[in-house]
Amino acid sequence: MNRRSFIRKVIYILCIGLLLIPLSYYSQPASVGAANQAVGAGKLAQLREKYKISEASLGEVDPAGETIKLATLGLRGVAVVMLWEKAKTSQMKEDWDGLQATLDQLTKLEPHFLTFWRHQAWNVSYNISVEWDDYHDRYRWVKEGIKLLLQGRRYNDHEPLLIYDIGWTTAQKMGTADEKVQYRRLFREDDDPEFPNHRLRPQNRRDNWLVGQEYYNEAVRLVEDRDASIHRMNPLVFYSEPAMCQIDYAIALEEDGVFEEKAKVGWMEADEYWTKYGAREMRSTIGIQYRLNDKEELEEKIAETATELEAMAPDLRKTISDERLAKLPAEEREVLEAPPDRRDPWRAFGIMMKLNVNHRDFAERITGPQHDKAIELADEVTRMQQLAELINHEREVVNFAYWRLRCRAEKTDAALEARRLLYVGKGLYENAQFEEARENYENAFSEWRKVVDEFPAMVDDTIGGTSLEEAVKGYVDVLKQLDEPFPKNFPIKDVVAAMLRRSSLPIPPEFLQDAVGTELGNPPAPPIRGLDMKDGGNKEAGEKEAEAKGPDSKEPAGKEPSKDDDKQPEAKSEASKDQAEASKENPAEGQKPEADSAKKPEGDEKAE
Amino acid sequence: MVLENQYPPYLEWLFSAGVSPGAFWIWLITMTGVILGGLLIAWVFSSIRYGPMKAGDLIFRTLVGLVGDLTHTSPRRVFALARLAVQESIRRRVLAAFIVFIVILLFAGWFLNPGTTDPAELYLSFVLTATTYLILFMALVLSSFSLPSDIQNKTIYTIVTKPVRPTEVVLGRAVGFSAVGTGLLALMGLFSYFFVVRTLDHTHELTADDLAPRAAGPGGVARPGLEGDTGFTRNHRHHIVLDENGHGYTEPSQDHFHEVTATTRDGQTEYRIGPALNQLKARVPLYGKLSFLDRGGRTTDKGINVGNEWGYRSYIEGGSQAAAIWRFSGLSAAEFPEGINLDMTLRVFRTFKGDVEKGISGSITLRNPQNPKVSYLLRNFVCKEFSIDRQNIPLKFKDKDKEVDLFRDVVSDDGQLDVIIGCLERAQFFGMARPDLYLFKREGTPWVNFVKGYVAIWLQMVLITTFGVMWSTFLNGPIAMLATVGTMVGGYFVGFLESLATNQAFGGGPLEATYRIVTQSNLMSELEKNVTTITAIWADKLLRIPLWIMAKLLPDLSSLSDVDYVADGYNIPLDVLSIHATMSLGFLVPVLILGFLFFKMREVAR
Repeated sequence: MNRRSFIRKVIYILCIGLLLIPLSYYSQPASVGAANQAVGAGKLAQLREKYKISEASLGEVDPAGETIKLATLGLRGVAVVMLWEKAKTSQMKEDWDGLQATLDQLTKLEPHFLTFWRHQAWNVSYNISVEWDDYHDRYRWVKEGIKLLLQGRRYNDHEPLLIYDIGWTTAQKMGTADEKVQYRRLFREDDDPEFPNHRLRPQNRRDNWLVGQEYYNEAVRLVEDRDASIHRMNPLVFYSEPAMCQIDYAIALEEDGVFEEKAKVGWMEADEYWTKYGAREMRSTIGIQYRLNDKEELEEKIAETATELEAMAPDLRKTISDERLAKLPAEEREVLEAPPDRRDPWRAFGIMMKLNVNHRDFAERITGPQHDKAIELADEVTRMQQLAELINHEREVVNFAYWRLRCRAEKTDAALEARRLLYVGKGLYENAQFEEARENYENAFSEWRKVVDEFPAMVDDTIGGTSLEEAVKGYVDVLKQLDEPFPKNFPIKDVVAAMLRRSSLPIPPEFLQDAVGTELGNPPAPPIRGLDMKDGGNKEAGEKEAEAKGPDSKEPAGKEPSKDDDKQPEAKSEASKDQAEASKENPAEGQKPEADSAKKPEGDEKAE
Repeated sequence: MVLENQYPPYLEWLFSAGVSPGAFWIWLITMTGVILGGLLIAWVFSSIRYGPMKAGDLIFRTLVGLVGDLTHTSPRRVFALARLAVQESIRRRVLAAFIVFIVILLFAGWFLNPGTTDPAELYLSFVLTATTYLILFMALVLSSFSLPSDIQNKTIYTIVTKPVRPTEVVLGRAVGFSAVGTGLLALMGLFSYFFVVRTLDHTHELTADDLAPRAAGPGGVARPGLEGDTGFTRNHRHHIVLDENGHGYTEPSQDHFHEVTATTRDGQTEYRIGPALNQLKARVPLYGKLSFLDRGGRTTDKGINVGNEWGYRSYIEGGSQAAAIWRFSGLSAAEFPEGINLDMTLRVFRTFKGDVEKGISGSITLRNPQNPKVSYLLRNFVCKEFSIDRQNIPLKFKDKDKEVDLFRDVVSDDGQLDVIIGCLERAQFFGMARPDLYLFKREGTPWVNFVKGYVAIWLQMVLITTFGVMWSTFLNGPIAMLATVGTMVGGYFVGFLESLATNQAFGGGPLEATYRIVTQSNLMSELEKNVTTITAIWADKLLRIPLWIMAKLLPDLSSLSDVDYVADGYNIPLDVLSIHATMSLGFLVPVLILGFLFFKMREVAR
């Protein structure tokens, strides 16, 4: 009996030993291959790596957290719900130590729940901080939120969004809050040892925008090097942040009164960053790859290809259109032929769309040996148009053209000098040195004229930003102190007129009416597409040209007069200048009563 | 400190608290109602079984027996049975709870962040809360399972066959288990105190390099001594200003400070920073009665609600006649020989940012309640939030060149004083509740306050033990435990039960809330009218009755806790402790009587 028992035990031990062999094989640590991928034996380790479920692969292992999770005896979910509720109550009752202690406990219980870190860090930095009245306390709580994210990063080193949030809070919260001046100063002076690396940074790198940029870059590297996921975040925004930080840094330098070389380098780097960002290959939500910089080149190709296609049968498009027009029911023809003031515009537009001949329809009608080639070209131009449309849409998400133009303009010596003079002028005004202030302001606007001349698109855009509007307002304040009218030879009258049209200038328009009346009285007519609208591809791309050239432009819509967005409204700018000149010559015309100017657009429309 | 439940003085609370008739009378009425209701129900059920006359006879005999048992209860026998209960508890390894507690303390440092703004508050609230949960859990298990397992194992016969009364059996258990809990609590308290003191103890580094000569004062007047910052420990550092001998105190940080001394050895000065001082506190405050003036200067009970979810504080508008007035009573010059310290924890609400660098200014005005037309501006101040702003009222001060004597001119003959707070900045607001401004009487002894905090836990433990014993007299072990858990949970959520019963809770009663959860509808949205919702709303109306009864009969355990007093560093007033003890006694007596009755009805006890 004992012998049988002994044999049975030996068999058990052997079986256990046998089972340990495959287990040992599968449990080996995985070797890392060239592409940072787990290879070789260690299947379990590979699977853990693949699905990112092991504690070690997620980030640092926290023994305290593991202990507290075990101590909940499977009731972690219940504990978490209770603690979230407690955190909410503590926040409501302004028990900040209680809130912090509860958040500490939650970090132990759900160290890999991304939403917890992101939500609570935001809550602490944005909601708790503003509960305090003293900005020192506010700053401390903004930092607490950042520290929470830094802690989260330790346990989740595959999550770029945590690093992104660190960058966001450091850059945006500290750089754009009402207390930004104080926050940025405290941030520079901060030597909190719990703020990693901050004490090691040289003073000139202790800028919230630059530190934010460091984190954004780290998040980008994590995605690039380790194929980490940015979940549902828009890559356009994600990748734009390092460049935006550089731009904001350059703006902040000028707001702090730092100009010349440092500001110039700041803007030059911003331009480089933005160009590099535009050259990054990105993927749209439907999987199409594109680069933001490609739009101009693409539009050139579209124009070339469309011209080539058009040349295969020069009159064919009109023929097809006429055929369709002829086949229209009498009722629809009547709509089209009706005088514009009696025409139902939406119905007319719908009918016009029917007459519109797309490239494929056009190519299908080409017969003979050129047919296949025509189809190929039509498909190619359609694909390129779609891509250009997509890029245009994506550009608008990040205001790509605006920032590109601004980076290029602001780094010029004239812009830097203008900004410096405006800064000095504002200081002089605050010191009640009004004559000197006026001189500085006027010199600044003359410098800005040079910038506008180099980049005419700035006339009707918001490139100067609110700072330029504030500068004009500051200048007006100086003039009021000197009891002088707004000068008629103001160097950037066209820019001011554009501001007034946008109603973005915080000055009563009457004050400026005499000086910039022409621009006010004659706003450019809204663009109206011609009835012979071609399927010229990218409508959005052609919009500004259409605006500038008017409806009679016969160029294919995809073709731009300039390769650069920045140059687009040149024609309009010239027109404005002409108008300004005309008003100089004939001041009375420049001061037309409002009733006239109100009637003007109608007359324009009729003329068209 | 936040005091959501504010009690009047003990005797006032007991016999007449303003318009309400006093706790004792309410208790008496409730008890009479419960007894009469219980007798009626017992008679109805007995009548069904035995007929009305016999039922009456039975009830009468039971009551007479109960009175006999109660009057003949022997403390000696109760003590003997209590000793048995203690032995049984030790046999059931009740000390394991203590070991668990020690393990929790050993690893607590992993989960507590000493870098918070007030680590003493964090550590104290942690140990007190952990002790409460553990001791209540222990009380729950011990009391619920003891009698049922004795009955099940028939070991109860070794007791009931002796000349003991059922009341003595029940009382003996309750006393015995409470004694075990008391011993454990004492041990836990001792270890907790040392844990807190040891964990908070720290010092900082300071070298000569950290110090520099003091900057010149106003007008370029040179100031002797040195100043600088200490090393960074536990997420804080202190600014220090030392005299020419190198002696001084640090500025407070994390609600404590240190003493700094210097010794010179071989021409080198070494600085030593002493242990943290004033970290554990037991401030003894004198609270006043708060009233408000609105922007037109009319008296109101409340200020403005600035839209906070928590309506604890009211707000007064700056740059108007709005003010908050605290009336203090019982002041005497003998009690405040060096003037009065006024502690404030006001809140600021800005309707516009204004100057971010500047705080919001307010004024402190003193007024004699007997002569309200005469008031004296003590001083203006800049509001500090979330920390105690101490303002001294000297015995003599000047207002517009007039010399004011505090106790002669301002404090009334009967020892009353009005302190008026106003906000000086237009469209900005100050927020306050009654406890946000008090007169600091003296500093109490922290360890005594700590003991008082443990007394409050002890009261909860005794209550739960008694409830557990009561339920175990007629339910089996697990069910008795569930019933006790229900009592505990209900006891901690009495306020919520009451809000459900009075239809004050958002989202309706239990059934309406269930409907909202299932249909994922918002708490505030109006329910569509259909059969289900109408039925749920009507059923909730019916359910409000038992909920209301439960809310009135269950002990409000959360209000018995004095953790906040100890953690926030405020002395637990004897009035509050007495009220808690009386409240506990008010529940203990009927619960024990119920326990006697239930046990008496069991066959084993006959």
